[in-house]
Amino acid sequence: MGMGTACYVYPGAPATPGIVTPDISFDRGVYMNGSVTMDDGRAIEVWGFTQGGMMGNQFPSPPMRVREGQIVHTNFTNNGMMWLHTIHHHGIEPSTENDGVGHTSFDVDGSYTYQWKASNAGTYFYHCHTNTVLHAEMGMYGALIIDPPDGSKRAFTGAPLYDVEAIWACDEFDSSWHTLNWDAGTCGADVGLNDMRPDYFIISGVDGASSALTDTRAAVSMNAGQALLVRYINAGYTPQRINFGGLSGDVIASDGRPLPNAVPATSWKSTAAERYDIMFYPTTPGIYEVTVEYLHWVTGAVIGTARTRINVN
Amino acid sequence: MKRRTFLQASAAGIAGALTGTAGLLTWVPRAHAATITTAYSITDGYITQPDGVNVYFKGYSDSATGLNVPASSFIVQEGDTVQVTINNTLGTDHSFVIDGVVDSGVIAAGTSKTVSFLASTAGSYLFYDKLNTPYNRAVGLHGAMAVMPTGSANTLYAGSPSFVKQLFWVYNECDPAVNEAVRTNSTPPPLSSYVPRYFTINGLSARPPGAPGYDDPAINSYYDPRTALAGYIGDRTLVRVLSAGLCTHSMHFHANHVELLTRNGSVLADIWLKDVVSLDNNMGSADLIYPFDPPPDAWPPVSTGNFVMHLHNEQTQTSGGGSYQFGAQTSIKFK
Repeated sequence: MGMGTACYVYPGAPATPGIVTPDISFDRGVYMNGSVTMDDGRAIEVWGFTQGGMMGNQFPSPPMRVREGQIVHTNFTNNGMMWLHTIHHHGIEPSTENDGVGHTSFDVDGSYTYQWKASNAGTYFYHCHTNTVLHAEMGMYGALIIDPPDGSKRAFTGAPLYDVEAIWACDEFDSSWHTLNWDAGTCGADVGLNDMRPDYFIISGVDGASSALTDTRAAVSMNAGQALLVRYINAGYTPQRINFGGLSGDVIASDGRPLPNAVPATSWKSTAAERYDIMFYPTTPGIYEVTVEYLHWVTGAVIGTARTRINVN
Repeated sequence: MKRRTFLQASAAGIAGALTGTAGLLTWVPRAHAATITTAYSITDGYITQPDGVNVYFKGYSDSATGLNVPASSFIVQEGDTVQVTINNTLGTDHSFVIDGVVDSGVIAAGTSKTVSFLASTAGSYLFYDKLNTPYNRAVGLHGAMAVMPTGSANTLYAGSPSFVKQLFWVYNECDPAVNEAVRTNSTPPPLSSYVPRYFTINGLSARPPGAPGYDDPAINSYYDPRTALAGYIGDRTLVRVLSAGLCTHSMHFHANHVELLTRNGSVLADIWLKDVVSLDNNMGSADLIYPFDPPPDAWPPVSTGNFVMHLHNEQTQTSGGGSYQFGAQTSIKFK
């Protein structure tokens, strides 16, 4: 996997411009040898970010959670002798050096501290922006949540309070891509990265075929009368339609910004990297089966489905 | 026709767009409606893709000897009468359609036709060949028209948020198997097996630093002045996004959220602030304003920088099955 063969990469590890003492910081490293066992028993290779160092296998990568107004450091260490990566805090809008896009700044070769300010409460995610088509597909992403300044359980200041929170990062795997090297295709080889044919459908790292129905990384347990905030992240490349299992929610924010008016919905469509924050107030106990339908990008036909549940006690 | 010839035609198109009635950057509103005439020649040829492969295209071109994909865009204002003369130089039938506005019917091989229509409603429109739908459109027979509100130089529709500059982004993808089928007048593969290999904005793909053509705005969508977002703080830029292609896309903007004003031709009652804007399959569209506000999360604060807009269905960031960074992407420069 050495870096000698990569093309159009921009290794660097400069000092962070105008570095200050942060209000909160996160350490992140890289693992390239993770594995997720799907419901059919097959193990699929995944890559991701660790909480520092090269040891770890969490998929999706560990979440970051900060409060609006904080200065944040993401201390990223990557062994550039082996591979290059970056961290792009998606939806966060910092300076060029801290945006984590290789070809406008650098692919991290060593250590770099991303410095940014969390200016708007909401739902974001972070992901690698080196050979992104492959690295994001391989699992190099995690949730990034900005809470209101007072830390209250609201999507943003002025939003309704929630009692229970779920983060659904809905993604798909094309398993044929999961055997490629980190720099696959960068020198012009046809490695099929234009042609995604997903065969696994995932909610927050859990196979949506059946595991996500009960795995607590996806499935929600709450009481009737409580308020639920779902932070829905389209973490894949495929258009999705999420159906809320008979519940009606209020879509209150998208992409880290409040909507001027909440939109009631029993289902919702999204495309790659959109986020939507949705409030639910179920009053009737029951098991509500949520389905995420993955749609063919040309025909709109359903090409896969992931399922989880909102269990209302 | 090879890329070099194509580029000369394209450059001429840009120069024309900056000066005449088609000039977006020099748009001056008129108090009274006018009759606007324009003309295209339907031509064909080959365009070299980033991986060196020459692919067959057809276009509504500025001259009978050039090839423009997409067509040079034009701008009129509400109430204008628009007359478009289309000279079909090819041996196949084509048409000129703006949905809900004008349909030329068949423009037979080797003939010319003039269509006339009233530009009644401000907005952004795709014109395209509706014959052999969607394939003639996909192989390049498409272009964009803007209708400005009467008497306005800086709004999308009467009362809309205002802008300082405006651009068109006409998206397309290319599955060479479709282009080849159109060239040979044979049946293209079904849409379920449509596998695009090239992804373009205004006909161009991106090139990263160090790549051949990186500095050439006639090749690199990064620096194509029709496409790149470049401005100082406050240079609010309207982008009229029209997809001529078949795929669902997801535009991701770095450094600023955009104000989303319309989708698929409908004015949105609420303006959402988005860092990702969906573009529906089969001719999706959107109008949005990139505000050029200081990047809100920079610390220390900044007012300059280099950023990107790219599609986040990342398979579009490739060319010929690999070559990440050679797909549908452009630059966002805070000057």
